[in-house]
Amino acid sequence: MGAKILDGLRMAVESRSYIDAMHAVLTHAGWTSYPKPVLSGMTVTGFRFVVERSLSSELATAYNWIAENFLAADFVGVTSNQAAGFTFEPTFPLYQHQAVSDMKAAIDRGRGAVFWKDRFVVAAGYDDEAGVLWYSDGEGLDLCRLSYQEFGRNVSPYWHYQILDYPVDLDPIEIYKESLVQAVYKWETHDIMLPKEDYACGREAYDAIREALETRCYDPSQAAELFRCYAASKRDISEYMDTLTSLWPELGDAAEAYRVAAASFREALDLMEEQKGMMGKESGSSLIGRMEECRQSEQKAIDVIKIFMRERIGNRFDHVGQR
Amino acid sequence: MSGVILQDLNFKRESKSFIDALYAILTAAGLYEGPKYMLSALSGMAFIFTVHERLLHLSVTAYGQWVTVHKRAADSLGIYTVSDGGRTRHPTFPRYQQDAVQWIKESLDKGIGVVYWIPEFGVIYGYDDEDRVFYVQDGSNENRLVLYDNLGLNFTPFWHAQAFGDSVEIDPEQKVLEALRMAIDDWNTPYPVPPDESIASGRTAYSYLIRALMQGDYDEAGAVYILESYQQSRHEIMLFLKEAERLFPELKEASALYEQTVALFKPSEWIPTRNAKHKFINSHAMPSLIGALEKACRLEDEAVNVFRGISGRYPDLKRSMVPRWGLHMAR
Repeated sequence: MGAKILDGLRMAVESRSYIDAMHAVLTHAGWTSYPKPVLSGMTVTGFRFVVERSLSSELATAYNWIAENFLAADFVGVTSNQAAGFTFEPTFPLYQHQAVSDMKAAIDRGRGAVFWKDRFVVAAGYDDEAGVLWYSDGEGLDLCRLSYQEFGRNVSPYWHYQILDYPVDLDPIEIYKESLVQAVYKWETHDIMLPKEDYACGREAYDAIREALETRCYDPSQAAELFRCYAASKRDISEYMDTLTSLWPELGDAAEAYRVAAASFREALDLMEEQKGMMGKESGSSLIGRMEECRQSEQKAIDVIKIFMRERIGNRFDHVGQR
Repeated sequence: MSGVILQDLNFKRESKSFIDALYAILTAAGLYEGPKYMLSALSGMAFIFTVHERLLHLSVTAYGQWVTVHKRAADSLGIYTVSDGGRTRHPTFPRYQQDAVQWIKESLDKGIGVVYWIPEFGVIYGYDDEDRVFYVQDGSNENRLVLYDNLGLNFTPFWHAQAFGDSVEIDPEQKVLEALRMAIDDWNTPYPVPPDESIASGRTAYSYLIRALMQGDYDEAGAVYILESYQQSRHEIMLFLKEAERLFPELKEASALYEQTVALFKPSEWIPTRNAKHKFINSHAMPSLIGALEKACRLEDEAVNVFRGISGRYPDLKRSMVPRWGLHMAR
């Protein structure tokens, strides 16, 4: 029987993604001092852009958590172990037990753990006597409590956790370069886990958004939340590219293009939020205009990156994502 | 300083090497009772059929991301599993390797062996801290030693290790149903390791195999390995369906189709084994072989239709939702 609460481990909702949780754990462990937008870029998380064709808000997290949260850590030189599944699977109780035990062990070592509680949150403490985990979800400063038996039981039937294990020393220059190659990959490649009829990724996500806006096949409040998540990603990426430009001035045009994309996305979000119901014709077409600006700017940024990274990209033949 | 050797573990090459390893580990640990063909079918592994366009030796094990496919196998048996693997060239590998040394030893301390890519899959059945070595069975008479510091390093670019834990009871009907669904999935998946289209799965694997044999442009040893493994799997599926038809009488039809499939095989004619060291495909038997494969493909397609009919009558929650894990591109 034990109990422990880690000092000063709190998550803040800023990037509106996995990065909020990961950043909290890594900074608390003293393994990174990078600001969130830079971490968002280095881990490639901010470059991910996936939408469901009806613009539902769940979709900012519709991706392969196991594959991509592993990669996010791997890209920045942190080893991790994780597991995920459906709560209705017969083996869930076995994994639930192990998840609680692994997260407690991490906390005993003085480190937080990432897990899914209707969003990515951070386990920051536990109390065996009460049988509860304490976690930070970014809403206010107080920790929330979750009984061991409730771990994994979410609004949707997904459970997931990730223990960030050890830091491995990597050359930051290499991390930046790899993130640029992966940005191209994310822009040009559909995620094969997601059925193409329902989901669109990268460049094609803009087409899907345009179609949903034109045919008005979406729920405005869901769409607004989706836009909030991606407005945050685009803002992070724009800041990240500014940072890289100080190393490589050749990337200046890409940074400028992402700046335009982030600003247009922000304006599109404002238009979304101003609407209390379905959008009128005029603001609808204005929104479509903003999105078109975003798409063009992002394409321009990717074109610049492709020239900058042409040698490494060329060496990867038909699979740019394969390291 | 300590060490463990699991004496009861007996790894024997008969099926796909992963199944041979799984069977040895689970039976020794008391996590599975029953024949190997049932394990092979219920884990979905028997239904996996993958072929490289030039019939390379790697065809038989190139059935996807191992961590994903082998997790699916354990899930369908109701057994907890943890595994790791990937490309040894990635800079984080040394750290994952040392981590694996620890969790492999912990599993052995609990009396449970560990699946290990040698390559082919084998079993780690012991360790010795003093010499810093693992003991590995590969199915030959001589066992191997793997130094802790060499764990995962081999002539392929990949490493893989997988351990097991507690289990839960799953209804036999549910297990069979899930096996049929895995069979359908694998039959329909054209390429198991996207975006690479040089390796095909299921129905498409048949056309790769037939085309390569017809054109004569193939790897001899690989072709032999593919054919032997292919026949063994069909044999396992046939035996599995014989048992499963007690739970789902509609499977009688599929069972008969697989009996017909197995009856087409003429192993001693196709692969004369006078010289066991250098097996080859008998070129005179080529027309008979290709004809049999074409027929077998049609029979299996019909059998999968039977599976589909049964599967469609029961809800399939898992496949009606988009997951947050599973299929991903090589990374």
